Formats: sequence, C-alpha cells, structure tokens
Amino acid sequence: MDETMKTLSRRNFLKASAAAMTTAAGVPALKGLVSTGHAAAPAPQAGPITDHFTACDMCFNRCGMIARVQNGRVIKLDPNPKFLKSRGMLCARGNAATAHIYDPDRLKHPLLRKGARGEGKWQRITWDQALDHAAEQFERIAEKYTRCGVMFSPGSDMQSQFLIRFAEVFGSYNITSHETLCLLSLHRAYLDTFGETPYPDVLYSKYIIISGANPYEAIITPDTIDLMEARKNGCKLVVLDPRYTKTAALADEWYAIRPHTDMAFFLALAHVIIHEGLYDQQYAEEMLFGLDELRAHVRKYTPEWAAGETGIPADDIRRIARELAAAAPTSMVYTGRRTSDYEDSTQIRRSMAIVNALLANWDRPGGILAAREVGVRAPYFDIPWYDDNPDDRIDYGMAPGLIHHEGSYKLMRDAIIKGEPYPIRGWFTFKTNFMQTAANRNKTIEMLDHLDFIVNADIAMTDTAWYSDLLLPSPSFLERNDPVSALQGSSACACAIWRDAVVPAMYESRDMLWICTELSKRLGFPETFDFDIHQYREWQLAGIPEAAQAIKEDGVYYNPSKVYGIYADSPLRTQAQKIELFNQRYANMGLDPMPVYKPPRPTEGKFRMVVGRTAFFTHSNTNNALLIEFEEENTLWIHPEPATRMGLRDGERVFVTSDVAQVELALKFFEGIEKETVYMATGFGALSPGQRLVHNRGASIAEVLEDHADYITGNMAMHETLVTVSRKVG
Amino acid sequence: MKKYAMVVDSSVCIDCKGCMVSCKVQNNVPRGYWRNWIKQTTPDFSLGKLTRTHFQPGGCMQCDVPTCVQACPSGATFKDQETGIVHVNESLCIGCGKCVRACPYGARFRHPEKRVPDKCDFCFSAGRLAQGIPPACVDTCPTKARVFGDLNDPDSEVSRLLRDNHTVRVTSANIDTQPNIFYLAATEPANWPGDVEFPQSFSVMASLVNPLVKVAVGLSALGVAGMWAKQAFAPDSEDDEQGPEASHPEPTVSKQD
Ligand code: SF4
Ligand code: SF4
Ligand code: SF4
Repeated sequence: MDETMKTLSRRNFLKASAAAMTTAAGVPALKGLVSTGHAAAPAPQAGPITDHFTACDMCFNRCGMIARVQNGRVIKLDPNPKFLKSRGMLCARGNAATAHIYDPDRLKHPLLRKGARGEGKWQRITWDQALDHAAEQFERIAEKYTRCGVMFSPGSDMQSQFLIRFAEVFGSYNITSHETLCLLSLHRAYLDTFGETPYPDVLYSKYIIISGANPYEAIITPDTIDLMEARKNGCKLVVLDPRYTKTAALADEWYAIRPHTDMAFFLALAHVIIHEGLYDQQYAEEMLFGLDELRAHVRKYTPEWAAGETGIPADDIRRIARELAAAAPTSMVYTGRRTSDYEDSTQIRRSMAIVNALLANWDRPGGILAAREVGVRAPYFDIPWYDDNPDDRIDYGMAPGLIHHEGSYKLMRDAIIKGEPYPIRGWFTFKTNFMQTAANRNKTIEMLDHLDFIVNADIAMTDTAWYSDLLLPSPSFLERNDPVSALQGSSACACAIWRDAVVPAMYESRDMLWICTELSKRLGFPETFDFDIHQYREWQLAGIPEAAQAIKEDGVYYNPSKVYGIYADSPLRTQAQKIELFNQRYANMGLDPMPVYKPPRPTEGKFRMVVGRTAFFTHSNTNNALLIEFEEENTLWIHPEPATRMGLRDGERVFVTSDVAQVELALKFFEGIEKETVYMATGFGALSPGQRLVHNRGASIAEVLEDHADYITGNMAMHETLVTVSRKVG
Repeated sequence: MKKYAMVVDSSVCIDCKGCMVSCKVQNNVPRGYWRNWIKQTTPDFSLGKLTRTHFQPGGCMQCDVPTCVQACPSGATFKDQETGIVHVNESLCIGCGKCVRACPYGARFRHPEKRVPDKCDFCFSAGRLAQGIPPACVDTCPTKARVFGDLNDPDSEVSRLLRDNHTVRVTSANIDTQPNIFYLAATEPANWPGDVEFPQSFSVMASLVNPLVKVAVGLSALGVAGMWAKQAFAPDSEDDEQGPEASHPEPTVSKQD
C-alpha cells in the first residue's frame, strides 16, 4: 500500500480529498464524554465531562463549537460538526479560547480610575456605585451637550445590539462600529454596483482572483475551507499581494503587485474582457447599466499600461482576463477583506465589482451571492425624539458615501478634537479596542483628552480600557446567554444561532443586557429593557418557530431559503435597477461614476506599510498564553535588497517612523515582500500593563499607521502610511 | 485488535496551527513544547509567480519498528498490541532520556515537570478514542488534512485512502522505523528525520526481548544503570528543552519505501 513517492494523479487526489471530507462530516457530536483510564496513562481527572453547544467569539466568524466542561471548568473546545458555516473546524484562535477565559489578566470587578488617565491607579467599586456613576455622568453630559454628546462603540459582539438599542433610546446618533476600520468601502462599492453586499460562493467557483485578502491565513469561514475544497475540484487561484502570505504560498499564481495599483490590474481585465468581446452579450443587455460608457472608459487601460503600474507582465494580465472570462459565470474576483486600505478604496473595490459584473456571476453558482433569508427579527422599540439634539451625526456630510449607521471613526475622532460641529464629551465602548485597531493611536489619545467620561465594558484590560474612567467587567462568550444571531456565508448557510452559558459568569462580570437594563432604570427609560433573554429570543424567532428546537438540538438552525436566483424576478436595488457599471448617483454628486486610476503617491525612498492577519492572532486578541507561543513579538518584514543597501542587518532593532509616530522593533529579512513594502503584525506593543504578554513587547502598528481615510466612505485607509526605517543608534 | 494510523494530505494544509493548539489544550502540553508540528519547505522566490510553500503536518509516527521502544531500558515505552499506539508508562520510566534521542523524528520531549518523556498518543489517554471522537488535531483541522482511523478495518477512511492512493512514509536513513503516519504522495519536506541515535549497550537485547521481559529487566538488572541515567538526564540539557523543531540533529537523507 505504501509506495515510492510519486506524483499523485489528479484522479487519486480527488478521491483522497473527497474521502477526507466525508470523514469530517461524519463525526458524531457526543453527550457525556467520560475520560477513560489506561494502564500506562496518567490518572484521569475526576468528574464527568459534559458537552455544550456554543459559538466561538475569538473573531467575528462565530464558528460552531462544542464546549467540554469538567468540574465546572471548560477543559476543551471542539468544532460542532453540524455547523456548516465553519465546516466542522476550529482554528487555532478558537482552540485557544480556554486561555482567553481563564486569562489571569481578566477584569474582575468594576473599577474607577483614581489617578490621571493611563496612570493605572484604580479603585475597586461595587456594581451599584459603578452604574450610579455612569448614569450620573451620562445625564450630566446630556444636559450640557445634548444626548449626542455621548458616543457609543458597540463592538461586533452578539450582545452589541443591546448597546445599540440603549444608545438609540438614550438619544445619541453617534454610534460607530468596528466596520469603520474594516469593510465599509467594500460595502459601499457593492451597494453602489449591485445594490447589496454579496457573499462569494467560493465552493463552486472554477477561477478565483484574490487581491489583498488572505483567506488561508486570516481565516474567514466558510471561505477559507471552501477555497481548498474548490481547488480540489479544479478551481484555479490567482493571488495579488505585495506580501507572500499563506494564501500566496498555496496559490497557483502569486504576483507581488506594487501596492496601490490593484485598480490598474482590474481596469485592464475589464479592458480585455470588453474589447475582446469575452462577456455574455445577452446578459449585458439585460443586466448591465453603462456598458458603453465603461467600454470608452477602459479603452486606455490596456494590459501593457497596467503592466507598467502593477509590475505584472501584460501577457499574464491578458491571459488571466481570458481564463477568467472562459470560466465565467463560474469565476470571480473575491470580494475580499482588508478593504480599509487606500484613500480611493471604494473605487478600487468598484473596479473589482465591475469585473464581477462582466463575468455575469451575480446571484449564480460559483459567483457572488445575494444575502439569503434567515428569518431572525430585530425586536421593535420606540426611538424617542429629543428636541435639543443636533440634526444629525457628528460626521454627517463629511464623506459623500458615509454609511449612516456605521459612521466613520476617523472623521468622528477629528470632529471631536475640533469640537465641531458640536461637542462630544462621553464615550461608551464595549468589547472593541480602537486604541489598538484604529490608525494613529496618538490621535485617539488626543481625542480622549476632549472627553469628560469614558466607560468601557470588556473582558480584558485593553489599551482602550487602560485609558478609560470606569471599567465594567464582562463575561466571556462561554459565560453568558446571548440573543439570536443570524449568519450568512457562501452557499453554505443562512443560519441562526444563540449561546447559552457553558459555565457561570466568573468574578463580578455582568453581560451587556444586564448593564443596559440597570442603566435604563437609572436613566428613566426602564420600559426599553423590560424583558429577559428568553423573551427576547422568542421575539427574534417569531417568524421561524422551528428554529429554537434546532438550535437546542444541533447548536444551529438552517433556513432552507433560496440560494441562487434570488433576484430572478425582481429588479436590483440600485438606481438603474440593474448592475451599475456607471454609477449615476456618483455622477450627480460630482464623484467619478466609474473608477479612475490614480497612481500611488511616490514613496520617495520611504516604504509603504501594509497590514495583515495571521491565523493565530485577530486584531488585538494577542494577549493569549497559547497563541503568543507562535510569535512572541512582532517584527518588521523587509526585503533584504533595499535593507542591505541601507546597511541594515537581519534581526537588528530599528526605528520605524511615519508622519505620526516612531516605533521600535526587530527587522526580519524576507524575500517574500515587494521591495517598497514593509509589514508588521497587529496586536503588539500594548500600552496597558494589564495585557502582560504584549505590553511593551514588539511594536503597535496602530501607533505608527497614519490616519488617512477613504474619501467616499470615511473608512480608515491604512495602506497610505509611508515609513522610514533606520538603525537604532545607541 | 486495532492498528491506528493517520493519513495526511499535506497538500491541503494551510499551516493554520489549529491542530497544534487543539492538541496542546487537550493534552495539557506545557509552554514551549508540542506533541505535533507543521514543517515547511523553504520558498524559492526565483520562481516568481510560481513560488510555493508546502506545509507538512506531523507528530509521533507510532512506528512499527519503534526505535524509542528498542532504546528504552525499562520497558516504560511500549507499543500497545491492542491499538498499535506507542505509549509511555510513566510509573516505569526511569527518566534516562534514551528514547528521546532514539526517535529520529524528534517526536518526544521530556516533560519539564513530570520529568518523563511525552509525545502524541492519538489522544488515547485523553479519552477521545474511547468516546469515538477523533484525535484533537484531526477533529479541529479546517481542511481535514489529517485523517485518522484503524488500518485493520478495511472500511475505515485510512484503509480506503491507502488502497486508492500512492502514499509515502517518511523515515530515517539508518533504520526504517516503518511509521504509521502515511503521507499522500508528493509530500514535502521529506529529508527531516535524523539518524537514530541508538544506545549500543541495549540495542541487541532490546530488539530481542518483548516489552514484558524488558519491564523485569528494567527493574532489576538495569535498575542501577537506570537510576544513574535518571540523574544524568535530570539537569536541563539544551537539546531536550526544545520542542521537536529545535531538538533535532541536522536532518539527514530520508528513505521512502
Ligand atoms: S475563525 Fe477561528 S477565531 Fe474565528 S470564530 Fe472561527 S474558530 Fe473562532
Ligand atoms: S515517532 Fe519516535 S516516538 Fe513515535 S513511535 Fe516512532 S520512534 Fe517512537
Ligand atoms: S489544523 Fe490542518 S490545516 Fe491547520 S495546520 Fe494543522 S493540519 Fe494544517
């Protein structure tokens, strides 16, 4: 059976892979796992082991988990095999959630700041004192500066909806989410092209171009897993990235594209597809708006021209365009992550969306899919009117394509510092850490100087917590009952989940529903939170009464709703009611109706810094005893050629200087990075000594990143940062 | 009787390290040590757009010719006939460390507190197999690069994979350990197992006697030598403090059969 190493035939490879997946799907979920002894094994721990369904919270993916509990302790987390969104897997971060909940650095009691902000002097207080204090401060700010004088940052938690409800009833429009550092420009681009944000149907695709995103390493479910499965079935993968990521390492072709030239590549693809007539004419007639304008627009964007911008040979660009079109409509430009990159990121994403439109892959297998019906309702509540409130959000009108319910953290921060158009003096943050996730940390600190009162609810002493006035300890996701959450993703799922506490809440931690309930009593609107979690879930599931049982039995409910052809009989939600290659609204607003390429600003001997994720850290979740073993501190990746020219040595410590800060960390020579580009991992160099594993270790990318913004959405534009690298003297 | 084995499709491994963390949590593996690992090839960037890296998962190979068992003077390390798993009976271990050196894969490390060897046992002692759930690394893997099962069961996934595919075993140059981790063909790197450092004094006897006899021998005749060895092993030696990646001598040429 075992033979000499030979190249495996395609057929055998497929068989093997198919078999491997079958095993995976067949793993039984078990009840009452009991440890067994063995003559040679160490004595088993006492107590039976019980299993509980839950969903991971180490990143936003919410993969299905089975928590194994013994003697009141979570001893192991395993994947829920029935959870299609995560395809029965848990990544390294999910597995390390045990170290997250039993982290000795956890916040344990409400704490009130005593010394100066950031000084680290805290006084332990009771919950009653904490809530009274918070309510008093909110009322004081509301009275003096209106209710919009308090900003709310609800994070991406399953309980965030309670804080949003609270904020809206309290009366503030100034709610800002994590999306403002992430996917806003992607949403905008697809909203303005297709009428909604799509989900890539990776599993059934035959040809995928990924530009910027890094699904094999950053892990997004089910795309990461489906991308491997699709490739076993013959899907070709082309990756454009100035950095040799794991996705690049496993791709069929990887191009170390010059940063900020992606749009040139996609306009050239459009050029080839249109001018060689490689698109579906009938489809174009029925579905596309503005093809003639686009044809004229992309005439000058030839592959030869794009080669000069991107560094990718014209022959390759032309060939890729033809291959992509040949595989259409079962091919795609991956819609992507990491879209908070450039000042024209909405237009860059528009250029990708336009290529997708030319592939006719919208709402079709192996293409990009519309959101499916899940059936979870958002319980209704009355939003009161406050006469003295300003007319709108503080960042209203500052970006033409601002997404109203997300705002722009970058623009809000600037407005708060200026005190215009009106003052904001309070901040309520929940499980989000702008100090480590938003560009230009010093500016966030500057913003704090304009705030009178900052309350932060979180599980850990993050940098944002460290600079707050009042800390409310939160339970981990394994210690609380969460409302229903609807999930989408690929063709795999339109599903609903909830979480029940797997172990009791530790220390004095309290969940957001409880906090909002208590605060609403103190602030005079108790009727907003006159329900318990079970009642709330019932309201949410009123339209799908069968869901509750499924969630109890399998940890997840799937809605058998339509996957493809959702728009078969209805017009798209764009102004033209078709796919807008040419965007009429942009034209009216004085924006380019089609993406116009602008070359990157010259680096002038500096390096462009890019951001990225590893499979074992997510944003600022690095303070984890299990995960930190893979990378004890971050390094600055640099190509050996420019580095050597500058007289730098591999491993030496350097200063990295941008227009906003200077940080210090060790160099890592790596040929897998474009020569004008440098990279460092997120989540290190924490200011907070309450995160012992990352405090002063490595450097904070949030500190050195300059705070540019996408001019359409106000999304952070992190890749606009240019830095110098210099030897650390002395 | 079972013969547990793992078939690894290294071509689908994305180096996410989920298997390493899952194993570490399940088996309480201490900081700085691992029972399993991902090895990788060094990318050749002169290949430009075709530059690739191959990631290869591994762990104790549960060898059919377990040099660790042969090297063990006390019989603490033994191959279980019921399952094919190579175990360590901690109460019989004299801590001499010979098994750690005798494993060409660097699959064993000395547990820093227990001061006995530790390594993968397919999550047997964690109780997973008895409950019918796969080893922690297999269960958690996003791409199911690791497939686990019983080779004596012709219907098992591993049996089927071996029947239908070309597979390779990665083994050391000087002794074919006949490992029970099989790689679907085209795995890389394959040149990493070291030479077996085989303690001469025990080798002849070890290969002759069965584990039960070795228990007796280990406790009597070899007892004195064993106790001395435990002393010698006890101070931290650089080599043994490392995980499998680092604890190993320079890789030598491999043999695939
Ligand atoms: S991708 Fe990993 S961290 Fe994110 S939810 Fe899934 S298991 Fe958890
Ligand atoms: S891999 Fe090493 S420890 Fe495992 S059975 Fe083989 S020789 Fe023994
Ligand atoms: S979990 Fe699977 S894909 Fe991830 S590193 Fe381990 S073997 Fe590779």
